[in-house]
Amino acid sequence: MMLQRSLFLLLILSSVLSSSAAPVQSRQHRAARSVPAVREIDLEGLKKLLLRDPKNAHPLLVNFWATWCEPCREEFPDLVKIDKDYRKKGLNFIAISIDDIQDIHSAVPKFLREQHATMPAYLLNVPDQEPAIKAVDSEWEGDMPATFLYDQAGNMVYKHKGLIKPAELRAEIDKLVSGNPAGGK
Amino acid sequence: MKKHYIAGLVLALLIATASVAFVHGVARAGDYPTAGAAIGQPIANFTLPDVNGNKHSLASLKGSKGTVLIFIAVQCPVSNAYNERMEKLAQDYKARGVNVIGINSNATESADDVKHHAAEHNLTFPILKDNNNKIADQLGAEHTPEAYLLDSGGKLVYRGRIDNARNAAMVQTSDLREAIDATIEGKPVTKTTAAAFGCSIKRAS
Repeated sequence: MMLQRSLFLLLILSSVLSSSAAPVQSRQHRAARSVPAVREIDLEGLKKLLLRDPKNAHPLLVNFWATWCEPCREEFPDLVKIDKDYRKKGLNFIAISIDDIQDIHSAVPKFLREQHATMPAYLLNVPDQEPAIKAVDSEWEGDMPATFLYDQAGNMVYKHKGLIKPAELRAEIDKLVSGNPAGGK
Repeated sequence: MKKHYIAGLVLALLIATASVAFVHGVARAGDYPTAGAAIGQPIANFTLPDVNGNKHSLASLKGSKGTVLIFIAVQCPVSNAYNERMEKLAQDYKARGVNVIGINSNATESADDVKHHAAEHNLTFPILKDNNNKIADQLGAEHTPEAYLLDSGGKLVYRGRIDNARNAAMVQTSDLREAIDATIEGKPVTKTTAAAFGCSIKRAS
């Protein structure tokens, strides 16, 4: 009887332990799989990203992309290189995906992972794209990809639609970062 | 002394504002064309071949009440998300005197590609092949799908998206349909432009 009770208690204990450990494990597993984390933003979130904190002013590069956009995928390795070369020189770079929200934990982070992309990544989820597009640039019609460069004060100093020209973009960034000519080309 | 201080402050503010405006004004554009057809201006007649090589003029294809030109693509997922909606649009408005004409300006997609794609997706409206993206350049078309609505006199009355959502289940505003309805009724179009994300047109280099 005593043995039965002990076995029963052991069984209960082990089941409690395994059930409490399982979510932790799966959470960790999910976290490992979801690196880099892609954060969802709405129109207000987008506007906040484009606003600059005057106390922490850095030049900002913004790339709009989507997994379905072939030229976006094509130019991404160059953007990852630019991020790696210039982040240490003070350039902030954010990538904003316009994929469907259901891709935020799957196709979008998967592509970023494949690209070894480590820049902050967002997914723009808005019911109406027009205000978001015009909040970025009144002359932009929404064609993808599109890349925008802002100086320390938040002024847009360069914009490009379609495949980036890496040398041209680097030259523009060089004008903004610490008077240091482009290294690591 | 106080007056001088205030005047100095105002001057500094003006200079700061002007310099910000100046920098905004000179945001250097890489490839960022903004020219194109203006709302209210007539669109000049043009002639383009269809997918079988037969030439058609805009004048020969236009509708009695209006004409919709839509820049479309074979491979663009956004354009493809609109295939059914574009076909339905063409069907719905044909009897009401508005004709839909597709234009493919992508250098990466041949007339044969366009022909097969149209057959596969049951697109029955005429689709023209804009070799060397001449018409895309003339109108300032940048992405697919992008619509241009001409009134019965051939003047541009709307340019931009078909509706607000790539996902048909999420449509809230049918901007193009609203513009067409107003045009048929002889009313001014209230929203003459509307942007949406799309695939950039692959121009001939």
